[in-house]
Amino acid sequence: MTDQVAESEITSLPLSDGGRYVYCIIRSDRQREFGSIGIGGGQRVFTVAYQDLAAVVSDTPIVIYDPTRENVLAHEFVNETVMREHTVIPMSFGTVFRSEDDVTELLRSTYQAFSDVLEKMQDKIEFGLKVLWDRDKVVATLERENDEIRRLKDEISRHTTTSTYFARMQLGRLIDSAMEELSSRYVSDIHEALKPVAVASRSNKPIGDRMILNAAFLVDRAQEQAFDDRVKETSRKYEDVLAFKYSGPWPPYNFVNIKLKLEKAD
Amino acid sequence: MGLLSNLLFFPVTGPVAGIKWSLGKVQKVVEEELTDDTAIKQDLMELQMQLELGDIDDDEYARRESEIMGRLRDVRAWRERLGKATSGGPVRVARDTDEE
Repeated sequence: MTDQVAESEITSLPLSDGGRYVYCIIRSDRQREFGSIGIGGGQRVFTVAYQDLAAVVSDTPIVIYDPTRENVLAHEFVNETVMREHTVIPMSFGTVFRSEDDVTELLRSTYQAFSDVLEKMQDKIEFGLKVLWDRDKVVATLERENDEIRRLKDEISRHTTTSTYFARMQLGRLIDSAMEELSSRYVSDIHEALKPVAVASRSNKPIGDRMILNAAFLVDRAQEQAFDDRVKETSRKYEDVLAFKYSGPWPPYNFVNIKLKLEKAD
Repeated sequence: MGLLSNLLFFPVTGPVAGIKWSLGKVQKVVEEELTDDTAIKQDLMELQMQLELGDIDDDEYARRESEIMGRLRDVRAWRERLGKATSGGPVRVARDTDEE
């Protein structure tokens, strides 16, 4: 045995007896391996079983993982890989257990809830849909097409109103409310178009000031193609005014709500 | 007694109580600001979005990401110092302590 091997054995010893990073919970009655794709530089990803449930984990030192793009993508990539063959209950990013026993205890104590949710989520996947618009373009269109706004704007530019200041204020308010109306009409049109091909949907808070819709859709695997077609069709319908950012399939992050009773382990 | 004794014997009660109250309030606001990571997470999501939209490049992303991670770590440190719950780090299933 060379020195190098001995050395790597020493460094791997405390690891294999150390913490476990948990990615998701699946149903599986046999030991599974998912390759060296884990967080923290390609750790081996494997399962810890309790009866017919299994936690998908990798070895980790006891650390707090920052939600950097690299770490979040590693977490995501494992879940995507596991999802190809299993229905998954995703764990939130950064969940580290101190030992394998603690992971088994998690499965044991939450067995019923995990089983119920796995059954409900059987063959369901999530898609994310973010819809953005170009505010300047929308304002320009409104100024052209909305009679009231156009009239007021003309008055301001010709200085025919007595108070330009108040006219401007009024113009701002008119534009704001017209935009709000327009945005909620787009959003409800999109929801209506996708509702028939989705099991459920959830709207999250839009990110940044260009986004008008930030939604997640739960879709039956059998409906994946139909959902996909409908999204593309809808995005074509609005291609002049709206940009669709469509992503997935994801594990059902937005549709699993199990409040785990976890406490800090020191 | 009551108001009269306050006026006669403790002429500074009013202002002192006032100062205490506002200090307490300031401390609460400061505490909330130090320990609330909602805005930081929102910033991180916006940054992510900007990268996906091609508004910023990888270098710019990395630079601003590390600044945001620093702020997240600060909040975590404050939360720990003030005895508040933190996310991340080792956890275990809560053992029921009151099993009567």
